[in-house]
Amino acid sequence: MRLLKQMFMNVLWSHRFPQATVRAGRRWSCFLSLTAGAGRTFYANAGLRKESSQAHDLAAKKLDLDVWKSVMRSSQPQEDKEEDDDSNDIDDDEEEECSTLESSRELVEMWRLAGKLVPEQISEEDLQALTALSTKSSKKKFLKRLALKEHHKKVDKEKKERKRAQKEAERQRNAEGEEEGADRPLRNTFLMHFWTRSMDALHNWRAAQSMCFGQPLVFDMSYEQNMSKPEMTSAVSQLLESEGWNRRSADPFHLHFCNLKPDGIYHQELLKRYGRDTWDRLLITTTEQHYMDLFPKNQVVYLTADSRNVLRTFDHDKVYIVGAMVDKSIQTGLSLANAKRLQLVTARLPLDNFLHWDMGSKNLTLDQMMRILLTLKEGGNWEQALEFVPKRKHDGFFKAPQLRKQTARTARISERSEANPRTGTGHNNWVSQSRVITVLNTSRIKVSDVKTKRKKNWWDEE
Amino acid sequence: MSSLLFPFVKVNLKQISPLSVLRPWRSIFLKSLHPYLKSAELANLRLESTKEGSRYAAHKKKAAQKDSRRNERQPFSRSVFAAGTASRTAEFMRRKSGEDMVDQPVATSKGPSHAEVPDCPLTVTEWASLKQNSLRPHQFEVQMMKRMVAARSSIDIAKSLLTYVAVETGTLNYELLLKYLTLCVHGNYYSEVFDLYEIMKSHFKTLDPGAYSLFIKVFSTTDRWRESFTMLESLSKTMTPSPRNYGDVIAGALQHGDSTTAWALYDRLLEQGLSPNQDTWQALFKSSCSEHSHNERLRDILLFMRDNQLYPGEPLAQCISSWFESLPADNWTGSWTTAGPSGTCQCCGAALESIRLSEEEYGLLKDRVMRDVIMGRDVFTKTTPQELDRFRKFVESVPAFDVVLDGLNVANTFGKGKQSETLLAVATELEKQGLNILVLGRSHMRRHSHSWDRDHMTRVQQVAHCFFTDDISEDDPFLLYAALHSGNHCMFVSRDLMRDHKACLADGTTRCLFFKWQRGHQLVVHGYAPGRRIRFQRIQSYDTILQTDGASWHIPYDPQGQDRCSYEVPTTWLCLRRAGRPTRPTEAS
Repeated sequence: MRLLKQMFMNVLWSHRFPQATVRAGRRWSCFLSLTAGAGRTFYANAGLRKESSQAHDLAAKKLDLDVWKSVMRSSQPQEDKEEDDDSNDIDDDEEEECSTLESSRELVEMWRLAGKLVPEQISEEDLQALTALSTKSSKKKFLKRLALKEHHKKVDKEKKERKRAQKEAERQRNAEGEEEGADRPLRNTFLMHFWTRSMDALHNWRAAQSMCFGQPLVFDMSYEQNMSKPEMTSAVSQLLESEGWNRRSADPFHLHFCNLKPDGIYHQELLKRYGRDTWDRLLITTTEQHYMDLFPKNQVVYLTADSRNVLRTFDHDKVYIVGAMVDKSIQTGLSLANAKRLQLVTARLPLDNFLHWDMGSKNLTLDQMMRILLTLKEGGNWEQALEFVPKRKHDGFFKAPQLRKQTARTARISERSEANPRTGTGHNNWVSQSRVITVLNTSRIKVSDVKTKRKKNWWDEE
Repeated sequence: MSSLLFPFVKVNLKQISPLSVLRPWRSIFLKSLHPYLKSAELANLRLESTKEGSRYAAHKKKAAQKDSRRNERQPFSRSVFAAGTASRTAEFMRRKSGEDMVDQPVATSKGPSHAEVPDCPLTVTEWASLKQNSLRPHQFEVQMMKRMVAARSSIDIAKSLLTYVAVETGTLNYELLLKYLTLCVHGNYYSEVFDLYEIMKSHFKTLDPGAYSLFIKVFSTTDRWRESFTMLESLSKTMTPSPRNYGDVIAGALQHGDSTTAWALYDRLLEQGLSPNQDTWQALFKSSCSEHSHNERLRDILLFMRDNQLYPGEPLAQCISSWFESLPADNWTGSWTTAGPSGTCQCCGAALESIRLSEEEYGLLKDRVMRDVIMGRDVFTKTTPQELDRFRKFVESVPAFDVVLDGLNVANTFGKGKQSETLLAVATELEKQGLNILVLGRSHMRRHSHSWDRDHMTRVQQVAHCFFTDDISEDDPFLLYAALHSGNHCMFVSRDLMRDHKACLADGTTRCLFFKWQRGHQLVVHGYAPGRRIRFQRIQSYDTILQTDGASWHIPYDPQGQDRCSYEVPTTWLCLRRAGRPTRPTEAS
C-alpha cells in the first residue's frame, strides 16, 4: 500500500518535474517486477543473473533481502552440535574457580570476533590479570596493550625470518658461484678476523676498567612503589638499553644501581630480562646501599627535570644520579622531593637553552639520558648530546644557543663563568690537577644553595 | 553613584560577606566589589578596564543599559563558578584570536578509496562489482556496514549487503552482525532485532558486552523485557554492567509495571558503587507520578544528589516537579526560578542555605588541607619540613588575615607593566581599606630583576605581611591553609581554580566541602586599571545545592543546551512548595 502511494506520488512528481522521471521510472519498474515475480526463488548463480534484465535483478533482490537469515538458520544445527561437544568437555570440578577465568576467555574471544584489538594468544597469567581488572575500559586497554605487544613480536619474528632466508639465499648463491667460476677473488686476507666475541671482550674490558677507575653514574632504584606494572616493564627495558649503550661506549661510566632491594620487583624484573648468569656477570655495581653511603655529599648531583638549576657543563668529577623511574602519568617533583630530603644539589639539562621546545614533557627516558651523558663525557658539546632528545619534542636547535637565556640573571652568570672559568672551578676541591678540566659551573648551584640557607631566617630578620 | 542599581547593591554587599556586618568599618572594601558589573565576559572586562575616569558616567549608563537587557536572561553577575562562564570565555577567546574557522568540520578528503554507501539495495552482482572496484576489498563488508551505521542508511541496503555476504561465503561473521545490530537499534527495527537475537544466540556461545548492551536496550522496551534480566545476568558474569545497562533494564521494568524489580535493581546498582544515570532517575520519578508506593525512596534519591553534589538536568527536573505535583496529600507547586542576590529564592522568597561553613567543617577542612594538600604522601614533594615549620610559626605569630593574595597569580593577571607594580597596586588598594593582608609568593620575587622591582617589593612588605616559599616549593597550598587558618572572614585573591589541590583531598565529601568554601571565599580580580579601584567578581552568599526545609524544596538544575564545567554550579533553580503559602509571580524578574 505504501509502495502504491509512493508510486502515485512519483508519477505526480514526474509530471511536475520531467527531469525526475528517470528515478520515478526506476521505482515503477521495481514495483512491477515485485508484483510479477512474487514467489520466485533465489538464483545463486551469478552468471545467469548477469544476463537477466535490470528489472529481474531488482525483483530478485527485493525478494531475498532476508536470504541471509535463512542461510544463517540453515547452518545452525552443526554449530549447535559443536557447542554441545564443547560444553561436554568442561569438567564439573573446580567449576566455580574456572568459571570466572572461562568467562574472561570467552570475553576475549567475543571481542576478537567483534573486531576489537585483542591478542590471539593469551597466557593464564594475563588472563588472571584481566579478570582482576574491574572496569570495561581497563580491560580493553589491557588487551589492546597485549595485542600490540603480540603484533610487534610477530613483526620482529617475520623480519628475522626474512633476513635469515635472504642470508641463506646469499650463501647458496655464493656457494654456487664458487663452484662455477674461479674468477671470484679468494677470501683471503692477512688481517685477522675480528670476531663478535672479541668485541664483547673489549667492551667488557672497558667496563671493567671503568669499574676500577671510571666516573660513577648512579641509577636510583628507589621508585618501585611509584610505578605501575607496565611502567616498571618499560623502566627495566630502558635500563637494559642504557647499560648496553654504556658498555659499548669508548669510555663507559661505572654504573651503580643503588637502593636495589634484593627480591624487590626491580630485582626480579631485571633477573627475568637478563637471566641469572648474565646478571651475575654484568660489569656494573648493584647494591642495596644508598648512594649517600657510597659517595660524599658534595660530589653528588641529582639530575631531575623539576630542578631549577640548569646543568651548563658536564663535570667529570661529579657523581650524577638519575632516578630510575618511568612515569607515564607525569608525577611532578617526585625525584626532586628525594633530592630535597637529602639536601642534594640538583640540576636539569639545558633543554630550553638549546632547543626550540615544541611539545611533550621534558623528562627523558633513561636510555636517552644515558646517551646524552655519554656524549658529554666523551667530550661532545651540548648540540651533539641533545641530538638524543626525541625529535618529535622539539623544533630544532637555536641558531646561537648561548645568546638565548631564560632570564637576564642566568645569562649574566653564564657569561661570567665563560669569561672566567676559574671562578667556577674555584669552588671545587675535587678537580684533579692532571686532568683537562671541562668548564665547571657549580657556582650557580652553590649560589642558590647559599641563598636557600639564608632564606630560612628572613622572617627573623624583619 | 546614582546608579539605578545602587540600592540593590547595599543589600547585596551585606550578603556577600558577613564581614561587613561584623566589622562595619570595612564596608569601604566591599564597595570595591562593583556590583553593576554583570558579566564575566572578557569582552566587557577589557572594555571596562580600559575606560578612563572621565568617561565613567557614560560608561556606567551603558552598563546599566546592558544590565536591563541582560536582566531578562541572567540577572546576576557571573562568577567563575557560574555555569556557562568557561564555555563563553573560551568562545570569546576563540573569536578574539580569529580562529573561528578552526572549529568547522574539515571536509575529509578520503579520496575514492571508500566506496560510497549506495542509496538503494543492491543485488549480489552489484555488490560484487562494488567490492572489486573498491581500493580496499579487504574488510569491505564491515567497513561498508560501519559507514551505513554512520550515515544511518536504510535497513534494506544493509540487508542486501548481508545477503550478498551470506551468498558469497555461506555465513556471516560476528562483527558484521554486530554492526547490523547497531543499525537496527538506531533505526528501532525491533522485529529485526529479535530475529538477529535468535540467530546470534544460536551461532555464538556468548555475546560481547556491546551486543548485550544493545539487546538490553531494545528488549527492555518491548514485551520481551523480562529477557533483558537474563542478559544483564550474563553480562555481569564478565564485568560490572554499566549504569546505562541497569538504567535500561530498570526503565523497562517500570514501563511494564514491575516497580519492585526496578527498585531491587536500583539497589544493586548503588551497591556496586555506580552512579545512576539521570535517565534512570527520570524513569523512576515518572513511574511514581501515578503510583505513590515508593515516595520515601524517591526522597532518598534527592538526598543522594545532595550528598554527592549532583544537579539534575532539565528533563529530570521536570519529572521531579511533576512527581511533586502529583503527590495527593500536599498540594505541591513547582516553578522555575533563579536565586536572588541576597540568597533568596526569587519565586517564594525563602532564604537559601548559606555558603558559610560550620565551625566543625572549618576545622575539618583545615586539617585535611594541611594533611592531604600540603603534606601529602611525602612532605618534600611540595615543601620541606623546615619550611612548613617556618610557615606554621609565621601564621601563629601574626593576627588573622582579612585577605590573602596569591602574589604570583595577582601579579600576572594583567599583562601590562611590571609584575611587581601590579602586585603593589593591588596590595596598596586593599591596605587603604584597612585590611590585614598576607601576600604569598616565592622567594625569587625578592630578588631584583626586570619584572620584580626591589622598591616595589619593599613597599609591598610594608603594607602587607609577606610569606615567600622556596622557589622549588609550591605556594598555593600555603595560601589555602593561611586563608583557612584565619577564619571565616578571610578571603583569598587568585584566578587559579585550585583544581589540582582539590584533587589531592582524599574523599568526595571533603572535596565538596572544599569547593563550597572556595566558592564562598575566592575573590577573582575582575577589573583593574592603574589609579582605579580594583573590582572583584561577586561571591555568592548562598550555597548552590539541592535543599529542603520540609515545607519546600529548592533544586538547582542544568538548563538544556548549557554545558557546565565540573567546577561550575548551575544558576537556575526549581522551587517546589506546598500550596497555601503566599505566592508571588513565578517569572524570574
